[in-house]
Amino acid sequence: MKWLTFTFLAFILMLLLWATSDLPSRANPQSPANVHLSPEFTKLTETEIHVPNIVSAILADFRGYDTLGETFVIFTAGLAVLLVLSSHGRKKKDPPKK
Amino acid sequence: MNQPYESTILKFIAKNFLVPLMVVFAIYVLIHGESSPGGGFQAGAIFASAIILVRLIGANTQTQGSKGLPMPLLIIAASTGLGIYVVTGILAQLFGANYLDYAAIPLQWFNEFAGENRTNRAMGMWIIELGVFLGVASVLVIIFDLLSKDPEND
Repeated sequence: MKWLTFTFLAFILMLLLWATSDLPSRANPQSPANVHLSPEFTKLTETEIHVPNIVSAILADFRGYDTLGETFVIFTAGLAVLLVLSSHGRKKKDPPKK
Repeated sequence: MNQPYESTILKFIAKNFLVPLMVVFAIYVLIHGESSPGGGFQAGAIFASAIILVRLIGANTQTQGSKGLPMPLLIIAASTGLGIYVVTGILAQLFGANYLDYAAIPLQWFNEFAGENRTNRAMGMWIIELGVFLGVASVLVIIFDLLSKDPEND
């Protein structure tokens, strides 16, 4: 069973590496992200939003859902720490002896 | 821990120079998030660092509970920050647009009030950055408070 899992994971790894070779390189000006998305964002930031910072415009407006999710992640992290470490409402079973 | 660090120059500089600078810089980063590098996350982190620095200076477990921000207030602030974000999105829906489409929210009265000429989208961005700022800052302080408190006597 262990070897089956290992073989399967190795197969997935090879598949992903093979698929990676088809991705456009990051600096390629002809890649779809650079041909379609970037000019659109630059243009819309100027015409629709009128803010100088394109990064903020993408973060807060075009990718608003993403930033909402990030805020939820941070809030959930705080809640988890609160639930794990808070001793509020916990019964004191045996007080420490001194 | 009693008073051996009361008069060190490090503590003096931190209390009288660093903390006010960090608070002002956090608000600057928040407000100028659209026109220069910055935004809610960064401003929240800087503001939380200022509050945590205050707690480290007065690292006295007796005074921390009474002088620092109380935990319920911090939880309310974190929830309010997230709520501002979510409610802004729902508000756009109520005005007939998609979720988080700030262009539909009528914010022109604020432009006239402040004498500025900003689009609704820029205003909406600023509002959600404010929500992110509140959430990030209070969550960081919550985590610090919980990790630094004494579990034996609280």
